[in-house]
Amino acid sequence: MLGKPHWFKRRKYAGWGFWPCCWQGWAYLAAITAPFFVIQAVPFDNEDIRWAAYFVWGAVILFDSFHIMSLMPKDERERTHEAVAERNALWAVILVLCVGVAYQAASGSVQGRIVFDPVIFAALGAGVLAKAATNIHLDRHD
Amino acid sequence: MKTNIAKLRNGLGLTQEELARKTGVTRQTIISLEQGRYNPSLQLACRVSRALGAGRIEDVFLDI
Repeated sequence: MLGKPHWFKRRKYAGWGFWPCCWQGWAYLAAITAPFFVIQAVPFDNEDIRWAAYFVWGAVILFDSFHIMSLMPKDERERTHEAVAERNALWAVILVLCVGVAYQAASGSVQGRIVFDPVIFAALGAGVLAKAATNIHLDRHD
Repeated sequence: MKTNIAKLRNGLGLTQEELARKTGVTRQTIISLEQGRYNPSLQLACRVSRALGAGRIEDVFLDI
Protein backbone atom coordinates (compact mmCIF):
# COMPACT_ATOMS: atom_id res chain seq x y z
CA MET A 1 0.00 0.00 0.00
CA LEU A 2 1.36 3.40 -0.99
CA GLY A 3 -0.93 5.63 1.09
CA LYS A 4 -1.85 5.39 4.77
CA PRO A 5 -5.50 5.51 5.91
CA HIS A 6 -4.82 8.06 8.66
CA TRP A 7 -3.69 10.59 6.04
CA PHE A 8 -7.28 10.86 4.85
CA LYS A 9 -10.81 11.37 6.01
CA ARG A 10 -13.91 9.87 4.53
CA ARG A 11 -15.87 12.13 2.18
CA LYS A 12 -19.28 12.48 3.77
CA TYR A 13 -20.91 15.48 2.18
CA ALA A 14 -19.61 15.58 -1.40
CA GLY A 15 -19.58 12.16 -2.99
CA TRP A 16 -17.58 9.05 -2.22
CA GLY A 17 -13.98 8.26 -1.53
CA PHE A 18 -11.59 10.15 0.73
CA TRP A 19 -9.94 13.50 1.10
CA PRO A 20 -6.55 14.46 2.60
CA CYS A 21 -6.55 15.61 6.20
CA CYS A 22 -2.82 16.29 6.58
CA TRP A 23 0.18 17.22 4.43
CA GLN A 24 1.08 13.58 3.86
CA GLY A 25 -2.29 13.05 2.21
CA TRP A 26 -1.74 16.00 -0.12
CA ALA A 27 1.79 14.76 -0.88
CA TYR A 28 0.33 11.32 -1.70
CA LEU A 29 -2.21 12.89 -4.06
CA ALA A 30 0.56 14.86 -5.80
CA ALA A 31 2.76 11.76 -6.00
CA ILE A 32 0.09 9.56 -7.59
CA THR A 33 -0.97 12.29 -10.03
CA ALA A 34 2.56 13.17 -11.18
CA PRO A 35 3.17 9.92 -13.15
CA PHE A 36 0.23 10.78 -15.43
CA PHE A 37 1.97 14.00 -16.45
CA VAL A 38 5.25 12.12 -16.88
CA ILE A 39 3.57 9.50 -19.08
CA GLN A 40 2.00 12.34 -21.07
CA ALA A 41 5.32 14.17 -21.49
CA VAL A 42 7.58 11.23 -22.33
CA PRO A 43 7.81 10.61 -26.10
CA PHE A 44 6.81 7.05 -26.98
CA ASP A 45 7.41 5.50 -30.39
CA ASN A 46 4.37 3.34 -29.90
CA GLU A 47 1.23 4.99 -28.52
CA ASP A 48 0.04 1.61 -27.25
CA ILE A 49 2.84 1.66 -24.69
CA ARG A 50 1.65 5.05 -23.44
CA TRP A 51 -1.90 3.71 -23.04
CA ALA A 52 -0.58 0.60 -21.31
CA ALA A 53 1.35 2.82 -18.88
CA TYR A 54 -1.80 4.86 -18.19
CA PHE A 55 -3.74 1.67 -17.60
CA VAL A 56 -1.16 0.11 -15.26
CA TRP A 57 -0.75 3.27 -13.19
CA GLY A 58 -4.53 3.76 -13.10
CA ALA A 59 -4.95 0.20 -11.83
CA VAL A 60 -2.33 0.80 -9.12
CA ILE A 61 -4.18 3.94 -7.97
CA LEU A 62 -7.54 2.16 -8.00
CA PHE A 63 -6.21 -0.77 -5.98
CA ASP A 64 -4.46 1.54 -3.50
CA SER A 65 -7.57 3.70 -3.11
CA PHE A 66 -9.76 0.68 -2.32
CA HIS A 67 -7.13 -0.53 0.12
CA ILE A 68 -7.03 2.82 1.90
CA MET A 69 -10.83 2.96 2.03
CA SER A 70 -11.09 -0.55 3.44
CA LEU A 71 -8.58 0.20 6.22
CA MET A 72 -9.92 3.64 7.12
CA PRO A 73 -10.86 3.44 10.80
CA LYS A 74 -14.59 3.76 11.56
CA ASP A 75 -16.33 3.33 14.87
CA GLU A 76 -19.79 1.78 15.23
CA ARG A 77 -21.63 5.10 15.01
CA GLU A 78 -19.79 6.08 11.82
CA ARG A 79 -20.45 2.64 10.33
CA THR A 80 -24.18 3.01 11.03
CA HIS A 81 -24.24 6.50 9.55
CA GLU A 82 -22.39 5.36 6.46
CA ALA A 83 -24.70 2.36 5.99
CA VAL A 84 -27.82 4.53 6.18
CA ALA A 85 -26.32 7.19 3.89
CA GLU A 86 -25.26 4.57 1.32
CA ARG A 87 -28.70 2.95 1.44
CA ASN A 88 -30.38 6.31 0.79
CA ALA A 89 -27.92 7.05 -2.01
CA LEU A 90 -28.72 3.69 -3.57
CA TRP A 91 -32.45 4.33 -3.37
CA ALA A 92 -31.93 7.65 -5.17
CA VAL A 93 -29.87 5.93 -7.88
CA ILE A 94 -32.46 3.15 -8.30
CA LEU A 95 -35.26 5.71 -8.56
CA VAL A 96 -33.45 7.63 -11.31
CA LEU A 97 -32.57 4.42 -13.19
CA CYS A 98 -36.18 3.19 -13.04
CA VAL A 99 -37.48 6.57 -14.21
CA GLY A 100 -34.91 6.39 -17.01
CA VAL A 101 -36.12 2.94 -18.09
CA ALA A 102 -39.75 4.09 -17.98
CA TYR A 103 -38.91 7.20 -20.02
CA GLN A 104 -37.00 5.15 -22.60
CA ALA A 105 -39.89 2.70 -22.89
CA ALA A 106 -42.47 5.49 -23.21
CA SER A 107 -40.52 7.55 -25.74
CA GLY A 108 -39.61 4.39 -27.67
CA SER A 109 -43.21 3.23 -27.89
CA VAL A 110 -44.26 6.64 -29.25
CA GLN A 111 -41.66 6.20 -32.01
CA GLY A 112 -42.82 2.64 -32.63
CA ARG A 113 -39.68 0.89 -31.39
CA ILE A 114 -38.84 0.15 -27.79
CA VAL A 115 -35.17 0.55 -26.98
CA PHE A 116 -33.68 -0.25 -23.58
CA ASP A 117 -30.24 0.76 -22.43
CA PRO A 118 -28.50 -2.50 -21.38
CA VAL A 119 -26.19 -0.57 -19.03
CA ILE A 120 -29.15 0.48 -16.89
CA PHE A 121 -30.33 -3.12 -16.62
CA ALA A 122 -26.79 -4.25 -15.86
CA ALA A 123 -26.60 -1.65 -13.04
CA LEU A 124 -29.92 -2.76 -11.56
CA GLY A 125 -28.94 -6.43 -11.89
CA ALA A 126 -25.59 -5.78 -10.23
CA GLY A 127 -27.41 -4.05 -7.38
CA VAL A 128 -29.74 -7.04 -6.90
CA LEU A 129 -26.77 -9.43 -6.87
CA ALA A 130 -24.79 -7.28 -4.43
CA LYS A 131 -27.77 -7.04 -2.08
CA ALA A 132 -28.41 -10.79 -2.19
CA ALA A 133 -24.74 -11.61 -1.63
CA THR A 134 -24.55 -9.17 1.29
CA ASN A 135 -27.66 -10.62 2.93
CA ILE A 136 -26.43 -14.20 2.48
CA HIS A 137 -23.09 -13.25 4.03
CA LEU A 138 -24.69 -11.38 6.93
CA ASP A 139 -27.23 -14.16 7.62
CA ARG A 140 -24.42 -16.70 7.84
CA HIS A 141 -22.17 -14.63 10.07
CA ASP A 142 -24.50 -12.70 12.38
CA MET B 1 -30.30 7.72 26.42
CA LYS B 2 -29.30 9.76 29.47
CA THR B 3 -25.73 9.21 30.59
CA ASN B 4 -23.30 10.19 33.31
CA ILE B 5 -20.36 10.15 30.93
CA ALA B 6 -19.52 13.88 31.07
CA LYS B 7 -19.70 13.92 34.88
CA LEU B 8 -17.54 10.82 35.32
CA ARG B 9 -15.10 11.93 32.62
CA ASN B 10 -14.64 15.35 34.23
CA GLY B 11 -14.19 13.64 37.58
CA LEU B 12 -11.29 11.67 36.13
CA GLY B 13 -9.87 14.76 34.41
CA LEU B 14 -10.18 13.18 30.98
CA THR B 15 -10.84 15.14 27.80
CA GLN B 16 -13.34 13.88 25.24
CA GLU B 17 -10.43 13.12 22.92
CA GLU B 18 -8.68 11.02 25.58
CA LEU B 19 -11.84 9.06 26.36
CA ALA B 20 -12.39 8.54 22.63
CA ARG B 21 -8.87 7.14 22.25
CA LYS B 22 -9.34 4.85 25.27
CA THR B 23 -12.58 3.43 23.93
CA GLY B 24 -11.58 3.26 20.26
CA VAL B 25 -14.17 5.69 18.89
CA THR B 26 -14.13 9.23 17.54
CA ARG B 27 -14.60 12.37 19.64
CA GLN B 28 -17.88 12.97 17.79
CA THR B 29 -19.18 9.65 19.11
CA ILE B 30 -18.26 10.62 22.67
CA ILE B 31 -20.07 13.95 22.19
CA SER B 32 -23.16 12.11 20.89
CA LEU B 33 -23.06 9.71 23.84
CA GLU B 34 -22.69 12.53 26.36
CA GLN B 35 -25.61 14.38 24.82
CA GLY B 36 -27.72 11.23 24.84
CA ARG B 37 -28.21 11.28 21.08
CA TYR B 38 -26.62 7.91 20.33
CA ASN B 39 -27.45 4.53 21.84
CA PRO B 40 -24.24 2.49 21.91
CA SER B 41 -23.85 -1.23 21.40
CA LEU B 42 -23.39 -3.35 24.51
CA GLN B 43 -19.72 -3.73 23.60
CA LEU B 44 -19.14 0.04 23.43
CA ALA B 45 -21.17 0.62 26.60
CA CYS B 46 -18.89 -1.86 28.42
CA ARG B 47 -15.75 -0.18 27.05
CA VAL B 48 -16.96 3.28 28.09
CA SER B 49 -17.98 2.07 31.55
CA ARG B 50 -14.61 0.37 32.02
CA ALA B 51 -12.69 3.44 30.80
CA LEU B 52 -14.59 5.59 33.28
CA GLY B 53 -13.93 3.17 36.13
CA ALA B 54 -17.61 2.51 36.69
CA GLY B 55 -18.54 -0.74 38.39
CA ARG B 56 -21.74 -1.25 36.46
CA ILE B 57 -23.01 -0.11 33.06
CA GLU B 58 -26.13 1.23 34.78
CA ASP B 59 -23.94 3.74 36.65
CA VAL B 60 -22.98 5.31 33.32
CA PHE B 61 -26.02 4.74 31.12
CA LEU B 62 -28.97 5.78 33.22
CA ASP B 63 -31.92 4.58 31.13
CA ILE B 64 -30.92 0.90 31.18
